Formats: sequence, structure tokens, C-alpha cells
Amino acid sequence: MLSEREILSTLAMLRYEHLDLRTVTIGISLLDCVSDDVNRFINRSQSKIARYAAPLVETVNRIGDKYGIKVENKRIAVSPIAVAGAPFSITQLIQVAKALDEAAKSAGIDFIGGFSALVEKGMAIGDRALIAAIPEALACTERVCASVNVATTRAGINMDAVVKMGSIVKETAELTARADGLGAAKLVVFANIPQDIPFMAGAYLGIGEPDVVINVGVSGPGVVKKAVDRALEADAMIDLGRISEVIKQTAAKVTRAGELIGREVAESLGVSFGVVDLSLAPTPHAGDSVGEIFQSLGLRSIGVPGSTAALALINDAVKKGGAFASSHVGGLSGAFIPVSEDLNIAAAAAQGMLSLEKLEALTAVCSVGLDMVPLPGDTSAETLAAIIADEMAIGVINKKTTAARLIPVPGKKAGDKIHFGGLLGEGTIIPVNNGPDENRFVRHGGRIPAPVQSLNN
Amino acid sequence: MNKLIISVIGEDRPGILAAISDHLYSSGCNIENVSQTILQSVFGALFIVSTSVDMEAKRLQAILTEGVSKLNLNVFVRKHEFVTHAAVLSQPFVITTFGPDKPGLVRGITSIFARHAINVSNLKAVFKGGDDPSNNVMIFEVDVPSATSLPELRQELKQAAQQLDLEINIQHRKIFETMNRI
Repeated sequence: MLSEREILSTLAMLRYEHLDLRTVTIGISLLDCVSDDVNRFINRSQSKIARYAAPLVETVNRIGDKYGIKVENKRIAVSPIAVAGAPFSITQLIQVAKALDEAAKSAGIDFIGGFSALVEKGMAIGDRALIAAIPEALACTERVCASVNVATTRAGINMDAVVKMGSIVKETAELTARADGLGAAKLVVFANIPQDIPFMAGAYLGIGEPDVVINVGVSGPGVVKKAVDRALEADAMIDLGRISEVIKQTAAKVTRAGELIGREVAESLGVSFGVVDLSLAPTPHAGDSVGEIFQSLGLRSIGVPGSTAALALINDAVKKGGAFASSHVGGLSGAFIPVSEDLNIAAAAAQGMLSLEKLEALTAVCSVGLDMVPLPGDTSAETLAAIIADEMAIGVINKKTTAARLIPVPGKKAGDKIHFGGLLGEGTIIPVNNGPDENRFVRHGGRIPAPVQSLNN
Repeated sequence: MNKLIISVIGEDRPGILAAISDHLYSSGCNIENVSQTILQSVFGALFIVSTSVDMEAKRLQAILTEGVSKLNLNVFVRKHEFVTHAAVLSQPFVITTFGPDKPGLVRGITSIFARHAINVSNLKAVFKGGDDPSNNVMIFEVDVPSATSLPELRQELKQAAQQLDLEINIQHRKIFETMNRI
């Protein structure tokens, strides 16, 4: 027999606190579809994607209904196209992107990730072509997401790739100027990219992953905020150690819900179950915000002094709760701070409480990085590359994943409003020091060596 | 061996279980199962006891009624027959409703269960009145036969709930166990 409290507390999370599964992502390897003939590669890839992804939406909805949990998104992650499509030209890779877009559309899926390259130590022919194809590929498709890993703790930072990505980000935004540079919202530059992220835009299926695998992304910033609020209501002077305990326990419950559904979806589709990625991923809805947790913790806004310590506490407690609840936690697992996707964080940026520099500091302790940050359109490619380099350095030195999803919004300046719509949200452009100017540091190129793994001070 | 089932109902107060169990012991009864509950101020309990073949239900009822007369309890005893039902494959679901109190809520929902041969294994309902949905809750733990069409059942329940002004949730029990228990 269940206790009344067990039933009512779970229901409260689902009904009032926005507990949901943010995404069930099916990873599909395209390595067995390779060919030097682009049409053959496309046909094989489309039919493999259709075979596994077609039943995904119906299966996920049925299992979500069974447990009374809403699954917001169903997504596909494929093998890095720079590897699977290594022989192809830029034009052919754009053709591949269109084919992936069609495959996602016919499966009723809103995003497909994996238009990706891994170039932390150097660029192969396929990598160069894929990176060059990104701006056009993201402009002429709706659902394709791209990512490029330019750094790892073991390899260092490939500054040639960083410089290249500065230009690619700018060009991608310019090709989608009418939609406030929306293309750049589907492009992430990574350090230490995990192979099993279910969240977009960074999802791709790593080379060491199974042929087909289900990874689940669970969210729940609203649930964490309400749990913190309840703890404070019971004891206004509760210490931070106990608040961390509350967040940890809440994270564990949320993770278990994700694993239950992920395993059942995988079993039902006859494929492997991979990981649960427990990440506090906000949406542009009140009550579903990471920024609001900072306010519950007593900060006027995310961005004021104390924010980095608060985020460190939240991020670590979420990871501990997740790791306790499931043996297969992976992906990013932590707290996201995507500027335009979180109403509260967007407002903090608009009011000047949260600067680019403070955001960068926060990324040293959050689970990703500079995420969905709208920048002035005149930010130079070199400055973008330098911001990316800074972000990669934080990841490489701290042995963590960091990423940059920067949107230099064409024709707009600091303080202007931007609107991407849907889950990508809206916000205000934040200023960049030395924005339009040159940056001779990044022009040196080469590789910043991998850091020493001792003398950890 | 003889099995008897005993029900005890009355105003709750300290000493009820002590008195009943004392008389059961003196009468040579061994308690096999007992479940008690308190609703508002009313105590209710069911006992299954094993006893010698010559202890009749009527006699035990007389002993208990006489023995606990000061406690103002209603005691009823009958023979417990073993009935084995053919096992029906089923899935455990938890069905919860929230909404304003009015007559006919339990009837409206359980009539659908009955039609689908769904057994209720546990029911808790609290109606404190007023409009606060959390003050008016029904929690049914049920076994839904595997042959039942879940989409049809869901639709019927939702329709009934709508007519009764209730919000209804129909969830497999595993979600509550998974989220709350290690």
C-alpha cells in the first residue's frame, strides 16, 4: 500500500511544479550507412532513421500517459556526420543536412542532432567540409542541430578550430538574419563534449555508443525551487548544507522517474537504454526557471555576488542526487543557465544584473556554458572566437564540459530585444567588451597544449 | 482448525485493542491478521483468527460483546470461508481525483471500475468541503485486468470526472514506488 504522502507529493510535482521529461532522445548510429555515394548514404540513413524513430513518438506518448508524466520532446541524435559523411563535399553535406531534416520531419520529431565534428586535436577532410557546410545547412533546414568539439582536457584547445568557429557562428547568424540569427541557436561549440547528451542542440551519438540507444533528459527547475521554498518556509534560517540535502533528495526522485520511462521506452522499442541526464533545463515559462532558484536562495537576481557559490551548490547537489538515484547518469547532468530560454535569467541580463563576464564565471560551476547568449550583431568573428576560447579554457582546465552557443544578432545592438520563439525564448542583447574590434591573440592559432594533471592549485 | 472473521466498530478511545485481544486470548483464539483504521473519530478493525473447531462464531460474538460492553463497541463475528478466485492478470494503477465535494463522487467513479471488473485494493477519500481541490481527494489503488483497454478506460474515467467537476489522474503504481522508495 502506498502512503497518502507518497502519492500526493508526486502528484504535486507533476501538477504544479512542471516536473516533466524534457526529452527522450533516440541515438541512431549511421556508421553502417556509409558510402562514397551521397545518395546511397542518404537513402540508407533515412531508412534506418525511419525504422527506429517512426514508432518513437507513439511509444513515448503511450508510456508517458501510463505514468502520468508529460514528455515534452522526442528527438534524434545521429553519429557525427563529419565521420559518417567524411568523403563528401560541402554541397553534398548540405544535401545530407536536408535529408536529416526530412527524416526528422517524417518521424514527427522537432530536432535532430549530429551534424557534428570532433576536432580537438586537428581537422580531417570530412571535418573541414562539415564545418564549412554548417551555416548553409542550418539556414536551409528547420530541425537540424550542429555541434563542434574544439577542445578536451587531454588534447588541449585547437585554436585553429576556435578561430574558424568564430567565423562560422557569425556567418550562421547572418544567413538567418531575418529570424534574429536563429541558425546560431542550433550550433554549439564544445570542450569535453559527452557522447550521450540527450539535450539539444548538443546531442549527437558518440562513436563508442551502441547502434541504437535511448537517452533521457529529465528536467525540473520548478520542482527544485518549490522544494527549496518549502524548506525555507519550515525554517527560514535553514543552513546551506541542509538546503543542498533538500535539492539532492529532490533530484534523486526526478531522476528515478526519468529512468523508469527511459527503460520502458527502450524495452518497448527493443533497443538499449543509455543514460538519464538530469539537468535543470529551464523553459521560457514562469515556474520553470533556474534563475528563480537563485531568488529563493536569497539573491536579488542571478548575476549578483553570491551567484557563483549558489550555482555551485545547486549543480553539485543535482549531480549527487542523480548519481545516487541511477547507476546510469550521463550527458550533462547539472544546471543549465541558457539566457534566452529562462525568463528570469533573460530579465537579469536585460536589467544589467547579469553580464557576459559574470555568465562566464558561472559557467565554471554550471553543467554547460555560455548558452543562448544574444550578442550585438557587430561583434567581430575574432571576438566571438576569443569568447569561445575563454569558455573552452574553463572546461579544459577544470576537466568539465563547457560550451558556447552564442548568437550575434544581425543588425541589432546591446539592449535591443530579440525573439526566437518556442523553447528558444526571447531576451535582450548583452554588451561585449571590445566587441567589433580585432583580437590578435586568437589569430596566432595552433593548439593550446593540454594542461598538466598535477600541481592542482 | 477453524477460522473466524471479526469486525469491531465504535468511538475511538484507548484500550479497545487491549480489551478485544485479551478476550480473544482467553477464548483460545490466535490472531492471524488484523487491520485497523480511524475515520474522523470512529475506530474500525477487522481480525482473522484461528481457533478450535468447537468455537462457533455466535458464541465468540457473545463473549466479545459482553466482554467489551463498557467500550460501547459493535462486534460482529462470522465464519471465514476460504474462497480462491482464479488468478486474473492485472496491472496496479493509482487513480486520484481532486475537486469540490458533492454526493455521488465515489459512486460515479466506482461504477466504471465495476463495469471493467477492476478491483479496488485500497481507497482513501477525504472530503473536507470547500473549493480547495487538495481538501477533496479520492485515492483509489486498483488492479486493472490486463485485457482492459487502457485508452478506453482512461476516456471513460475522464468523461465521468468531467461530469462530476473532478480532475482525474490515472497512473501506473510504479511511478509512485520508483520516485519515493529506494
